[in-house]
Amino acid sequence: MKKKSFSIFLTTLLTFSVMLSACSGGNSSNSSKESKDPVSTNEGNKAAVVEAEGPTEIKIMLPLNTSETPPDTIKTEVEKITNTKLTYQFFPADTYEEKLNTSLATGSLPQVVYLKNQTTFVQMKESIKDGQFWEIGPYMSEFPNLSKLKPEILNNTKVDGKLYSLYIGRPLARQGIIYRKDWADKLGLSAPKNVDELFKMAKAFTEQDPDGNGIKDTIGVVDRNELIYGAFKTVSSWFGTPNTWGEQDGQLAPEFTFSQYVDTMDFFKKLREGGYMNQDFAATSKTDAVNMFTSGKAGLYIGGSMQDIDSLNKDLIKNVPDAVLDTHSMVAGPDGKITQWMIPGYNNVALFPKTAVKDEAELKKILAYFDKMMTPEVSNLMYWGIEGIHYTVEDGKAKAGDDKELIEREVKGYKDSVIGEAETNGMYQPYNVLPGRIHAEELLLENVKFGVADPTAALDSATYTSKGVELQQIITDATYNYIYGQLDKAGFEKQVESWKSRGGAQIIEEYNAAR
Amino acid sequence: MQEVTAQPNAAPQLKIKKPQRSSELKKRIWRNKWLYVMLTPGVLYFIIFKYFPMYGLIISFQDYKPYKGIMGSEWVGLQHFQRLFTEADFLNILSNTLILFGMNLLFYFPVPIILALMLNELRGTFFKRFFQTLVYIPHFMSWVIIVSISFVMVTMDGGIINELLTYFGFEKVNFLLSPGWFRPMYIIQIIWREAGWGTIIYLASIAAIDPGLYEAARMDGAGRLRQIWHITLPAIRGVIVTLFILKIGSVLDLGFEHVYLLLNSMNREVAEIIDTYVYTAGMRQGKFSYSTAIGFFKSIIGLIMVMAVNKISKKMGEEGVY
Repeated sequence: MKKKSFSIFLTTLLTFSVMLSACSGGNSSNSSKESKDPVSTNEGNKAAVVEAEGPTEIKIMLPLNTSETPPDTIKTEVEKITNTKLTYQFFPADTYEEKLNTSLATGSLPQVVYLKNQTTFVQMKESIKDGQFWEIGPYMSEFPNLSKLKPEILNNTKVDGKLYSLYIGRPLARQGIIYRKDWADKLGLSAPKNVDELFKMAKAFTEQDPDGNGIKDTIGVVDRNELIYGAFKTVSSWFGTPNTWGEQDGQLAPEFTFSQYVDTMDFFKKLREGGYMNQDFAATSKTDAVNMFTSGKAGLYIGGSMQDIDSLNKDLIKNVPDAVLDTHSMVAGPDGKITQWMIPGYNNVALFPKTAVKDEAELKKILAYFDKMMTPEVSNLMYWGIEGIHYTVEDGKAKAGDDKELIEREVKGYKDSVIGEAETNGMYQPYNVLPGRIHAEELLLENVKFGVADPTAALDSATYTSKGVELQQIITDATYNYIYGQLDKAGFEKQVESWKSRGGAQIIEEYNAAR
Repeated sequence: MQEVTAQPNAAPQLKIKKPQRSSELKKRIWRNKWLYVMLTPGVLYFIIFKYFPMYGLIISFQDYKPYKGIMGSEWVGLQHFQRLFTEADFLNILSNTLILFGMNLLFYFPVPIILALMLNELRGTFFKRFFQTLVYIPHFMSWVIIVSISFVMVTMDGGIINELLTYFGFEKVNFLLSPGWFRPMYIIQIIWREAGWGTIIYLASIAAIDPGLYEAARMDGAGRLRQIWHITLPAIRGVIVTLFILKIGSVLDLGFEHVYLLLNSMNREVAEIIDTYVYTAGMRQGKFSYSTAIGFFKSIIGLIMVMAVNKISKKMGEEGVY
């Protein structure tokens, strides 16, 4: 009897302890199916070192811009070609910074870590300087394909003059307008040549019933709660505001100290007060903004990548079958000059943590994988998918298949992780069908002629690294408050002063010293 | 785990002379062994998830560098606490937190009690059940869903409420982006989501009241309201006080998610609370030591509050939580 009860007791205990450990392991809600518990990162590496001849095991974490984790279709093919055993851990882009920071804090980063964007890269700089990541500069020459990466862009990603990362290339200036050409034609408007015409177009789209349903239910511009990748920065650059930092009396100064920045704020204030844009844009998410556009309610989508026209068009014609979209950029400012802000040529980077990559030999194996990624065979596979299923080749270019949902599901996750760009990794250029997209590709090349780079891209400021993002919040809030009429010009100036007194002045000093 | 398992088996073989008391204790433990077994998971839960993580508080006195670990990081004393108290926004954030908490106490706390009394007055089991279920269902929706539903209703870009306002000839109201509307929206959403769920405990304690009391009161000619006032409320007073004390303990803990979803550039001056501030500093900007220090500060305030309120309630002759 006693024995029996004791065994019951043990069983109960065991059950509870299993339950407890199960609970504690289940904190990463959307790690991919094949990824084991993300907390244990070092098991695979040891094995890889022992069996040097077998496939290299690589664990990679990266942000996911779609709603579901892609299946292994593409991954399996890549593994075959590159003789690797890959574990891609996808995490939703929305909460990726958190995932990154918690993994960093607990020392559980995998061997390859993609960041999210340039802002996260700035935040990582402190850890990079602390020596938490491998410097890869010295090894680059050993890999013929990695050596093709553009030196000017690599320079933009250097920290203290050393290279730690591989970049994911993007066109320098892809921002512009995607607009309803059918509305413009109906109202007899041509694409806006300058900011005044842009304003007039937004007004006309709101007031002149462009969808012809007899109800005043349309707006001009649709924007979202984002100053950089929303409409604000692109329009500010047309007004002649410098790209993040600019020269004033021979000194570098932040963009919001320039009069053009205030002009841009006035532009948006007028736009909103007139009802020519969505009133709640400061609280509107990207999804909601896109939905507003694709439901046929708004006529101008500004600031996103003009290459997004394909996906916007796909959803718009479901709702409005005879809608026609076109792209446009190079809008002149009040003084007739055209300027267009440029990104530093990359939108994300991959880093290699020392906690997971134990030695040089292992690092070289991982770099070898990326070297193979920069061959047309692998980069096409990861960027376009499998030929005949996800795309076909026409005139030596890749034409995406008709099943956009399938491409979104199986390829998009990997597409955003391909390093380099078509010129360096040899993947196919896109074969475009949509006239607006073909136009967009021409505009991309034209834009660069008027391009303005961020002069601080390759400069370093310790204060900016530690406090810049936090301080930027002051300016972001002040900008919205000004547009919504809660702050006047004096109030805005006061916030700029507050930015300076809380560390901004040091940032200005450090950047000017670093030149 | 060890001490619990060792006790029952060790009993027979050990024949060391021990004072009477300990063998008495062993007997008692052995007799109630199943109660101890049932206690184990709870104790383990607190040890593993509540006590063990306290080790991590160490990093609030350090300049914590993840790759150096807790052992290898540099000690900086109270630097992070100093930074918090000298932060320009600190007073603003603290007062926002306290105001929201005060409103929560004032407008939300009584609602479940009133609702429970109302539900209790319903005659007919079916109706009672039906309404009770109806009011507590929202609790199972996440904040994301509730805030999204509110967004769709109150947005100026075609939200139903603003459409109605225009229809009746009023001006549109900017619910989402004006500092004045943040607090009312916050409270309304909390009441909508949590009030029904909060009634459960009160209803249970009302159900335990001796019906004889009501009968006697009716004989004495007490009406419905009199019965509530003289019987129901005094009977659940203890529960109300206990829940009130527990609520006070979470004075600086308003639940991060809900506020964070409502937060934007326009209402930050009233909507930034300690929880959202910690999240931004810690999770999004990776200042682990600093955000741990804030969390530590928060816990201490909570502890002090609970102890104070507990003392007061004991003075008033109530039970208290310990």
